[in-house]
Amino acid sequence: MKRDSGKEPRDSSRRDFLHAGAASLAAIVGGFAGKAAAIDRDEVGHILDHPEPFVEGGAQERMRADLVRALAKPTSQRRWIMVMDLQKCIGCKACTVACVAENALPPGVAYRPVTQTEVGEFPTVRLQFLPRPCMHCDNPPCTSVCPVGATYKRDDGIVAVDYDDCIGCRYCITACPYGARYFDFGEYYEDGTPEIMSYETRPSPEYSEDRVRLVSDHGASPKGNVRKCQFCLHRVEDGSLPACLATCLGGATYFGDYADRESLVRELVGEDRVMRLKEELGTEPSVYYLV
Amino acid sequence: MSKKDARNGSRPASAMSRRDWIKSSAFVGGCAAASTLVPGARAATAKPGRYELNKPENVIYSSCLQCHVACQIKAKTWDGTLAKVDGSPYSPLNALPHIPFETSPVDAVGVDAKLCAKGQSGIQTYYDPYRIRTVLKRVGERGSGEWESIPFDKFIDEVTQGGKLFQGIGDSRHYPGFDEVVALRDADLSKAMAADAKAVGKGDMSVAAFQQKYADHMDKLIDPAHPDLGPKNNGFVFDAGRIEHGRKELMKWFTKQSVGSPNAFEHTTICEQSHHIAYDEMTGGNNHHMKPDLQNAEFVIFWGTGAYTANFGLTPMAEKVTTGKVDRGLKTAVIDPRLSNDAGKADWWLPVKPGADGALALAMIRWMLENNRYDAQYLANANKAAAAEDGEPTWTNGTHLVKFEDGRGAARVSAAEVGVGSEDQYVVSVGGDLIAVTEDDEDTPVHGDLFVDAEVGGLRLKSALDLLRVEAMSRTQEQYEAITGVPERQVAEVAREFTSHGKRAVVELYRGPVQHTDGYYAGSAIIAMNVLIGNADWKGGLQKGGGHWHEFGGKSGNVYQFADMHPGALKAFGPTMTREKHRYEDYTLFREEGYPAKRPWYPFSGNIYQEIIPSFAQGYPYPGQILFLHMGTPALASPAGDKVIAMLQDPDKVPLFISCDIVIGETTMYADYVLPDLTYMERWGTPHVTPDVTTMTSKVRQPVAKPLTEDVTIDGETMPISLEAFLIAVAKRLGLSGFGDDAFGPGMHFNRPEDWHLKAIANIALGDKPGEVVPDASPAEHDLLVKSRRHLPPSVFDLAAWKRAVRPEEWSKVVYVLNRGGRYAPFGSGYSGDYMKRKMGTMFHLFVDAVAAQRNSMSGEYFSGVPEYRGQYDAAGATLNRGGAYPYLLITFKEAFGGHSRTISNYWTNVAMMPENMLWISAKDAARLGLRQFQEVRLTSPAQPKGTLDVGDGRTLDFVAKVDIREGMLPGTVGLSWHYGHWAYGSNDVVVDGSVIKGDARRAAGLCPNPLMDVDPILKDVCLTDPVGASASFFDTYVNVTPV
Repeated sequence: MKRDSGKEPRDSSRRDFLHAGAASLAAIVGGFAGKAAAIDRDEVGHILDHPEPFVEGGAQERMRADLVRALAKPTSQRRWIMVMDLQKCIGCKACTVACVAENALPPGVAYRPVTQTEVGEFPTVRLQFLPRPCMHCDNPPCTSVCPVGATYKRDDGIVAVDYDDCIGCRYCITACPYGARYFDFGEYYEDGTPEIMSYETRPSPEYSEDRVRLVSDHGASPKGNVRKCQFCLHRVEDGSLPACLATCLGGATYFGDYADRESLVRELVGEDRVMRLKEELGTEPSVYYLV
Repeated sequence: MSKKDARNGSRPASAMSRRDWIKSSAFVGGCAAASTLVPGARAATAKPGRYELNKPENVIYSSCLQCHVACQIKAKTWDGTLAKVDGSPYSPLNALPHIPFETSPVDAVGVDAKLCAKGQSGIQTYYDPYRIRTVLKRVGERGSGEWESIPFDKFIDEVTQGGKLFQGIGDSRHYPGFDEVVALRDADLSKAMAADAKAVGKGDMSVAAFQQKYADHMDKLIDPAHPDLGPKNNGFVFDAGRIEHGRKELMKWFTKQSVGSPNAFEHTTICEQSHHIAYDEMTGGNNHHMKPDLQNAEFVIFWGTGAYTANFGLTPMAEKVTTGKVDRGLKTAVIDPRLSNDAGKADWWLPVKPGADGALALAMIRWMLENNRYDAQYLANANKAAAAEDGEPTWTNGTHLVKFEDGRGAARVSAAEVGVGSEDQYVVSVGGDLIAVTEDDEDTPVHGDLFVDAEVGGLRLKSALDLLRVEAMSRTQEQYEAITGVPERQVAEVAREFTSHGKRAVVELYRGPVQHTDGYYAGSAIIAMNVLIGNADWKGGLQKGGGHWHEFGGKSGNVYQFADMHPGALKAFGPTMTREKHRYEDYTLFREEGYPAKRPWYPFSGNIYQEIIPSFAQGYPYPGQILFLHMGTPALASPAGDKVIAMLQDPDKVPLFISCDIVIGETTMYADYVLPDLTYMERWGTPHVTPDVTTMTSKVRQPVAKPLTEDVTIDGETMPISLEAFLIAVAKRLGLSGFGDDAFGPGMHFNRPEDWHLKAIANIALGDKPGEVVPDASPAEHDLLVKSRRHLPPSVFDLAAWKRAVRPEEWSKVVYVLNRGGRYAPFGSGYSGDYMKRKMGTMFHLFVDAVAAQRNSMSGEYFSGVPEYRGQYDAAGATLNRGGAYPYLLITFKEAFGGHSRTISNYWTNVAMMPENMLWISAKDAARLGLRQFQEVRLTSPAQPKGTLDVGDGRTLDFVAKVDIREGMLPGTVGLSWHYGHWAYGSNDVVVDGSVIKGDARRAAGLCPNPLMDVDPILKDVCLTDPVGASASFFDTYVNVTPV
């Protein structure tokens, strides 16, 4: 099931239905006292106005330049993919935490765990690390089982969830062969401590919707929804690389537009040592590994 | 149990809501303002291109402190909340390559760089619901967990005046205050007394003569019969735990110059101090820390460390190794009893028996010498001129001849002694002839014979290299294999690889090989491998890092020379409480008591953390009066640190105990007063850069988030309660030098934290040399500085106050640096042709005269000038008798997501990713014990034979852990990671102002390995310690493992 990627927020959302009359939606952005006038993009420039790398010789700046180039195209002409070089993954889990922090995720939800496996017997033993984001399959088994069409494949390759439509049935969690979907049970890390601090209730930038996940509000999305990696779409569309990549200590993670023949990721997936997980299922993941 | 509960079955107290807690305003928790945000809503106005965290006015660049690497961070604020922390793309620690310094922070705001899991979680160190907001005073016995909050001014009154401070709870003891401890306050008198006291210590002036000369001032001394022990002022001890540049200099400023006590200590000996001391001694004091040039090395041996989990540190180092491996064929070997993440990805893993590192290094040296795999041409260079001929920036004293007396190298022979030159020259053999050599001679090259053993005029002379050869050859490879557990074949393979890359091979060491009683020697042997291939200062070799601009002065361009800015400074004198940097033989105590001393003296080392409280409590060399602990928890973090609990609980041994902490930790819990501090997100600093970074870098730490401690007003200046506020308040109350109006000189005041820290930042901005300045900030950047701090209260950010801290002409340059969180040379600027740009350029000491000339104060035996291996030993050097009922050697390690005692509050990592640490045990040992995965076992050791720990507040903890059965673990060795096993720090209930603050049991999960560790059999109150480098032994304890 595909939809237009530039899906606009609709008026009759699930949240609105459940919390009709609660408060004005417009109260979120800019709705706090003492905020200085924002520096306007037009006045001072923006990362999207910098298509050239700030410094040569690094993969990240090259990928950022790739990103800026891709964003100049219509959404339907982009194909976001991720590549991970397992020889470079050091198992540090910075990506796991960066993702949780970036997306303001609750307990039990981690879009990008890293698994560790010992291979061999003492003393001939090695470690293998495997970062596991959503595979953003081209044939996603998760979307077709959704009874309300809340999860869908975007034109740019990202498998997204509409939190307003999601009814929390969790069929998609069962259907995903990669275990890449998580249910938001409405918890906080600081449950049971003297206070749930404000970083746990700050807006989540997912899908550029800036949803606030307050303690006092038990049912509001994304609580009670299924949540998953969206390649940090809110960052990507603002010209920044996904949080997991930006923080990858081993320089093992790559992201970009497969449709762009000049992109670094397109170059990498041409390497001999490329593989994808569970290819036999025919899911056609957008996440590639270099082994 | 519902499904939801089942999923979180291990989580305590999850059913309780916030309103169940009785709140106290002394804690962060319970005093949040109601949010104005609307729940669950989404912003209709949200659209691409307007990401809140990509707006420059929501970003401040600063420095992390989740570990000592102090990476550079980009702190992002959303609606006043610190929302996300990333790595700074300006910094070479975080970006490979880093963006140009000149890049506008507005343009670059969309570029984020690397930051490890700890750094990412720093938000949770700052927003810890157990943080303290106000000063606490105990209202029960020490350790009772009962507190009252008191006003800051009352706290300052009490600790400055002293008196019967706890009469209210039935304790009529007199507690000393600063006023009585700071007995000597006359700067000129202190200088005169210091000089004469030194003469008394050395026996050049009699005690009687001193007493006569200073008859009016005997009341100022600790002990008039021992004037060389110094003034009463020495009763003040600043036990700093982790303190970084910026605050470190302030600690010394206050302690040494304002209070006049020599006792300002850091925690380095529980970290990797013997490695620093080995470098220090082997480089003649020029470098205490060198690192491989990882971007160009072809082969690196990581010895007891790595680039992927800890070290100094993983964020700057990891990518250099991973890209090196994939892109240019870098090979690595890892020496570690445990298959670390590094070892799991290395070309060779050498699981060495803990404590056998020195033997393994000597085995490799033996192989190198026997197979002629060393740089003979480099080693022959006996002085600077010879080195220069070969294009070698460094040289060695390997060819210098050493007097061999009583079976040991005693000292390098002087040219005068053998009649070939002067007293200050040394001697080498050149084709059998003795030639005088001057180390730094740039004119006359001298190339010496390498391995010399000769008799000259009744003197037996050996070259330093020959002494090293004799030590290396003292065992066969078979004997070495029996000691180290590393097969001879593997030693040969790795040594061959190490000697197959010219200058582009390096052995990198850090904590693993040196946190042993023979740490200094093991470290020296490993460094000697580098010296044998002459890799220092070469691109791809061993290098000292790109350095930094000098923020506290000392360079010609520095606009604030702090050394000249403390009028009225006292001269501290007397030995340090830990006897560090002092020789026993230079004190009257030695002449009266001789060997052995009551406790060890450590002339070569410093910051001997484990020794501070035991010395203070025992009163050797003198009794302590006021213990001020800052960001440290020796009871938890030191091996056998639990032994300090009883000392701290006894006010007769530790009369006044103030702890400066952010949460009531495992040592703070025994304090009389708790001074709340700011986290690194709320305060200033100028931490130094790791030598892994080859380009010049100066880092700035600055407030990025609003302070969570209460504001206090001192003489009309409002600031958050913090270490700085305390020092300012105490100094002003007593009228001590170095603080207040005109503190730095006429018109230069020190009334606020910025008055100190912004001057250091001005030095960075103005540079080391005249004209080496950063650009002026543009008007837009001045605006950005203000806008990006709009969430900070005036007690922290007051533009006028900040500007006043520096000269008007400096301000715009300071803004430029603040807006980038530091100052950075361009990527790639650390090289000069085939060399590193910044060179050591001096001589390596394969024979260390100073160490060879010094005796162990506990035995009177000489130390060795060359590396040696003789197992592990006690304070007097006697071999330890161990094993028996305790068959497993215990090691510790860090997870990549756990830095120190405070990371337990980081729920994203310590709770979410690994709720408890487990005991690593080899599959072979587990099978023998019949253990299954995750089975619980009890750990016992000679220090904890029952496998329990009494923490002094009525609780007894069990040393019970689950096992994690691993192939990647040396049989006979078990491992426990550090940073779990808390018994305080928000894990336990405390009472404040009569209200119970419930602890979070998740923070108590797992085990802390340190209380299991061996106690020195002579001293009985402190862990085993390296007598030279003073590192605390972490890896020499045998334990037993029994199924529960």
